[in-house]
Amino acid sequence: MTRALGEFEAKQLLAAYGVPVVSEARARDESEAFAAAERIGYPVVLKGCGPEFKHKTELGLVHLNLRDAVSVRGAARALLDAMQGAGTLLVQRMVVGPREFLVGMSRDPQFGPVVTFGLGGIFAEALADVALRVCPIGLDDALEMQEEIRARALLGAVRGLPTVNTQAIARVILGVARLAMDRPDIDAIDINPLVVAGSEPVAVDALVLLAPT
Amino acid sequence: MTHLDALFKPKSVAVIGASQGTTATGSPKLGTAAMKNLIDHGFVGAIHPVNPRESELFGRRAWPSVTAIEGPVDLAILLLPAAGCIDAMHECAAKGVKAAIVMSSGFAEVGASALERELVAIARAAGIRVAGPNTAGFIDFHHRFAATISMVGEMQPFRSGGVAFITQSGALGGSMLGRGMEQGVGFSHWISTGNQADLSAADFLEYLVDDVHVRVFALFLESVSDPTRFIAACEGAARAGKPVIVYKSGASKVGAAASASHTGALAGSHAVFGALCRQHGLIQVDDVAELLPLAKTFAWLGERLDLRAQRAARVGIVSASGGICGVAADECERAGLEVPELSAERQAQIRGYVPEFASVRNPIDVTGQIRSSETGYQDTVRAVLDDAAIDAVLLLVTMVAEPRATFYGCEIGKLAAAARKSLVVTWAGPLSLASQGYPMLTNAHVPVFDSARAAVQALGAIERFGTYQRRLRLRKAL
Repeated sequence: MTRALGEFEAKQLLAAYGVPVVSEARARDESEAFAAAERIGYPVVLKGCGPEFKHKTELGLVHLNLRDAVSVRGAARALLDAMQGAGTLLVQRMVVGPREFLVGMSRDPQFGPVVTFGLGGIFAEALADVALRVCPIGLDDALEMQEEIRARALLGAVRGLPTVNTQAIARVILGVARLAMDRPDIDAIDINPLVVAGSEPVAVDALVLLAPT
Repeated sequence: MTHLDALFKPKSVAVIGASQGTTATGSPKLGTAAMKNLIDHGFVGAIHPVNPRESELFGRRAWPSVTAIEGPVDLAILLLPAAGCIDAMHECAAKGVKAAIVMSSGFAEVGASALERELVAIARAAGIRVAGPNTAGFIDFHHRFAATISMVGEMQPFRSGGVAFITQSGALGGSMLGRGMEQGVGFSHWISTGNQADLSAADFLEYLVDDVHVRVFALFLESVSDPTRFIAACEGAARAGKPVIVYKSGASKVGAAASASHTGALAGSHAVFGALCRQHGLIQVDDVAELLPLAKTFAWLGERLDLRAQRAARVGIVSASGGICGVAADECERAGLEVPELSAERQAQIRGYVPEFASVRNPIDVTGQIRSSETGYQDTVRAVLDDAAIDAVLLLVTMVAEPRATFYGCEIGKLAAAARKSLVVTWAGPLSLASQGYPMLTNAHVPVFDSARAAVQALGAIERFGTYQRRLRLRKAL
């Protein structure tokens, strides 16, 4: 049985390794959700989280682009009803950027921890535009990986967007690699999407899979 | 003498299972092929055939067992049926043999892993290093030592040179070796690793890295048995300035443990191996037919140039065909190499060497009319080679017949010999019209390819190797 950290815990762990993560807070009820949204700033995303709910989008447990207190409260009520007490709420700053990448880690049975950088978003697997490195890696590897993907032009100034901070993405890759070396009990990591807001990467969703015990 | 020395440079060899005869279909028996190859290729040490049913083989006294042999035995070649190898290995231990090449099959490759472990355990207890089992053997070309059952031994004489070829497949590796020699590739070693029960590709790489005859390694791999040691051996080769070119078979498989994540699905084992190659400066080819031509390129350029300092990021292209100039420029772009426009001064200089309507920006189309000048072509190529903004030069020869083919063969050979930069050639014209000129290039060890793409891929490999060498120097400096 594969176990995973909750989305919130996964991002807390990644943040400890220097990965910039979306500003977010957990909430147990409608009023906590409202308070969190006020603190984080609108627009926000509200998600229903719990060990039973692996595919949040498919289960209708993600409410995007909530722009005021009324819609936050409404979404919170709807989510709590849907989960029937089996989960909690996650309030996130709504981060949008047309450019979405992924950074991940998996363990090759022969070669050990492998870090991945590539084109992210919902079509990541279908497009399969990734560069890999076997740990341990250095800064030059983390920079080279970004030049290896087919969609590398997206890291530059395209269609009026600013150039992506590739040093910051390199720090995300290096952080994930370090985490993989420090924690052999972690089987796999997906940061997807790693949204580029302006020119800065921020982890919006993350999955940390633990080794079966 | 270390145990690996006993394998590569034995003074005496016992051939256990030696024979003299042919099979029902007329091929030499394995024990016969092994004896013939040792003798025919001129092994200078003692050869002791072991076969209890014979008193003499190939004019040599045949011994009933290894232990009966008078005098020491450094290396034993085992050619018995798998089950018989156990007793033979015990006898090798009793005799004090230092190394063994087990050519017999019927071990782990058919599921008999226990038998293989037993064989290696006996050897280890006696301090014997084992190559194989299920190996087609070894050839050390510079020492005329052909310990192999491969039919490639029937090729006479062998072509020796700077390519150390380590192959996990004996049959395919043997055929590649033979074809390679036909295409002018010279070898230092050929090693069929077999099942790698004891010694693996990593051991052979490590042992050969300081061998003066080895300029480049060519590897045909099906798997990597010990990644950490393999990588360490490849890093050793990189530090010695010797490129490692590798072809690895095997479709991608998803790491089962990681398949629950997107990343895991994207990181198949083949892709991971590719990443490992990039990280450690190995040059991976995705077509097995590219392996030896690329190895030859490095070996030949390495005879004249310090490969560590070679680059090919900025390519100068010269041809008398505008058509192939365009093709070559396209291929450079595809390979991530630049074809920079030459400086105004350089263009003006080249103008003085070529017909009026030639193009001198780079690619340089000297046009077919260049043949009316005795020195225009050579002066042009030299001017490009001399340009500090050019790292490497690609010359493309299209429709030429003798005697013009001989002109190209002769002059390009001289230009390459004097060049301090990598110079490679594409010869696209019919070889039957260049029967004198074309072989001159190979004889002069000028890397020559049939297509622009193959030549540009070779330049890409030179650039990759040079980039990794610069990175190594940088790391050392830090």
